[in-house]
Amino acid sequence: MNPLELTLGIMTAVGGFVDISQLVFSGQAGSMFGYSLIWAFGISTIGIMVYGEMCGRVAAVAHQPLFSLMRHRLGLKLGLVTLIASFLSTLVTTAAEIGGLGMILNHLTGASYLLMCVVSTLVLMASMWILPFKWIERTYGLLGLFMIVFIVALVVIHPPWSKIASGFVPSVPHGLSAKQLFNYSYFVVAIFSAVMFPYEAFFYSSGGIEEQWGPKDLLTNRVTSIVGMGLGSLLSIAILALAALLFAPANVAPQIPGSVALQTAIPLGKLGLVMALLGMLFAVAGAAVETCMANAYSVSQFFGWEWGRHKKPWEAPRFTIAWIIVMLLALAIVMTGVEVMSLVGYAVVFSIVILPLSYLPLMLLANDKNYMRGYANKWLAKILGWLFFVIVTIAAIAAIPLYVLTAGGQG
Amino acid sequence: MLRRPLLLLLFLTGCSKGPEADLEYISSARSLAAEWALVNEQASEGHLTSAYVKTMRQSVREQLKTNAKSLTQPQSDYGSEIAAVLREPDDADPAALRAHASKLKQIEDHLESA
Amino acid sequence: MRRDAPIKMVSQLLDLPLIDRDGRWCGVVDDVELDGTPGRAMRIKALLVGPGAYEGRLPGCAFWLVRKVAGDRIARVPWDRVKNVASAVHLECRAEEVKLHRTEDEARRWIPKWGAM
Repeated sequence: MNPLELTLGIMTAVGGFVDISQLVFSGQAGSMFGYSLIWAFGISTIGIMVYGEMCGRVAAVAHQPLFSLMRHRLGLKLGLVTLIASFLSTLVTTAAEIGGLGMILNHLTGASYLLMCVVSTLVLMASMWILPFKWIERTYGLLGLFMIVFIVALVVIHPPWSKIASGFVPSVPHGLSAKQLFNYSYFVVAIFSAVMFPYEAFFYSSGGIEEQWGPKDLLTNRVTSIVGMGLGSLLSIAILALAALLFAPANVAPQIPGSVALQTAIPLGKLGLVMALLGMLFAVAGAAVETCMANAYSVSQFFGWEWGRHKKPWEAPRFTIAWIIVMLLALAIVMTGVEVMSLVGYAVVFSIVILPLSYLPLMLLANDKNYMRGYANKWLAKILGWLFFVIVTIAAIAAIPLYVLTAGGQG
Repeated sequence: MLRRPLLLLLFLTGCSKGPEADLEYISSARSLAAEWALVNEQASEGHLTSAYVKTMRQSVREQLKTNAKSLTQPQSDYGSEIAAVLREPDDADPAALRAHASKLKQIEDHLESA
Repeated sequence: MRRDAPIKMVSQLLDLPLIDRDGRWCGVVDDVELDGTPGRAMRIKALLVGPGAYEGRLPGCAFWLVRKVAGDRIARVPWDRVKNVASAVHLECRAEEVKLHRTEDEARRWIPKWGAM
C-alpha cells in the first residue's frame, strides 16, 4: 500500500463526497430540524461505505465492473429496465449538478446563470476529453477540499458539541405535528438517497477497473471507502450544524443553493465566502463528471462496448459519444428553465426508487464465491449489506408518497 | 359504488385550492425574505462580495415572483404580504425584511395548526 | 472455465461480456446457438452477438423499438474461438476475425484523434 497514493485517494474521496443534493438537504435539514437529522447522515454514510467497499472489491477481484455483472445476473429484460431507470435518474442528477454549477458561477462572477451553465458544461467536457481518469478524479476531488472551510467555520463559532454529538443518536424530535413528521420522514429518505446515490456505486466500481485494481489493492479500497467517505460526510454534517446555529434562529430554510455559502461568510467574512463558493464549485463539478461518466459506463458495459478514460477517447469511441450525449442532454434539461431545487428533488426521489435494484445485484455478486473466490463477503459485510438493503427498500417505497405529501419537503 | 371515488375526488379538489395549497409558497417566501435580510445584513458588514450580493438579491426576487404567481389566493393576507416583500428595494433594511418574514411565519404556523 | 468443460446451463454464458485476445471489449453474449438432435448431447455451436439476437428475449414491441434504433444485425462467434469463460468470455482471436467491433470502428470515424493526454 503506497502511503502517498492512499492519502491522495482518501483526500479525493473527502473532497468528492458532497454534491448539490447534499448541499441543499444539509442546509434545509439543519434549519428545519436542528441537529436531529445528523444520524441520517451518519447511518447512510455507513451504508455507502459498506457498498462502496463491496464495489471496489468486486472490481478488484472479478475484474469486471458492476453493470456488466448486473446484466449477467439480472438477465436482458430486467437488466434493460434497470439500465433505463438508472440512466434517467442519473441524467436528472447530472442536470441538477450542472444547474448547481451555473448558479455557483453566477454568484462568484455575476455572469448570467444560463451562460455559466453552458460554459461549465463545455469546461467539464474539455477536462473529460483531455485528462486521463486518475487526473479527472484527483483534480476535482482535491480542489473540492476547499469545502473544509465549512468545518473551520463551525469550529470558529464554538457550537454546542454535546448537542451535535447527540444528533448522531437516531431520534425523532418531540412535539412535531403530523405535517412536520411527514417532512422529517421525507428528509430522512432524501438524505439516504443523496448520500447513497446509485451512480456512486457504478462510478466507484468502474474506477477500480480504470485504475487496474487487483487483490493487492483491497486494503487501499477498504481504507479509502471507510476513511474517505467517513471524513467526507463530516462536511455535510458541518453544513447541517451551521444551518441549525445560523439559519434556524433567522427563519431561513435555504431556498437558493447559494445561501449555504452565507454559513462561512458570517464567521469568516469575504475569504470564507469565496472559499465556500470555490469548494462548492469543485465538489459539484466533480459530481457532474462522475454522474455523466457513470451513465456512460453503464450503457457501455451493458452493451459490451469498449469503455474507460484510461483509454484515449478514440480508443473507446461509443463510450466517448455516450458521455458527450449525456452532458448535452443534461445541459438541455437545464436550459428548459426548470429550477435547480426542483431538479435536486427529482434526482433524489428517482434515485432512491432504483437504489434497491442497483444494490441487490451487488450484494449477490459480492456473496458469490464463483466470482469472488476467497474474497466473498464475510459475515459482517453480509449482515450490514442486507440490513442496508432492507433500509433502502423501505425508503424506496416511501419516497414518492412522501415527496407528494410534503411538496418535496416544503409543505 | 361511485360514491367513494367521487368523495375522494371532491376532497382532493377541495385541497388543491386555498391556504392549505399555498402553504409551501408561504413557507418558501418566509425563508426567502429571511435569506434576503441575512444577505443585506452581511453585506452591510462587508462580509460578502458585490457579485454575490447582486446575484443573491436577483435570485431571491425571481423566486418570490414565482411564489406569488403560484398562489391560488393572491388577494389573501399572505398574498399581500408577499407582494409587500417584493416592493422592498434591493438594499432594504434587514429589520424590515425580517418583519415580513415574521409575519409570514405567523401565518404559516396558524395554517399548520389549523 | 475452459471451453471444453461441461456447461451446466446456457445461463452461465448469456449476458457475459466478450473480450478479445487484445483485451478489448467486443460485445455481450446475447444468445447461444446449439447443435444437436433429440436423444443426443447438445453442443454449443456459436455465441450470437448483436441486437438481432434480442428477438425471443424481449417482448415484441420492445424488440421492434430496438430494431428501429440499433438494427437487427447478429454476429456469430464460433465456439472454437472461445478460450475460456470466467466473469467474461475470453476469445482466442481478435474481434475483427469474428466480425465484431464493426460498429466501434464506424463510431471511431466520428471522434477526432487529438487533444487527449
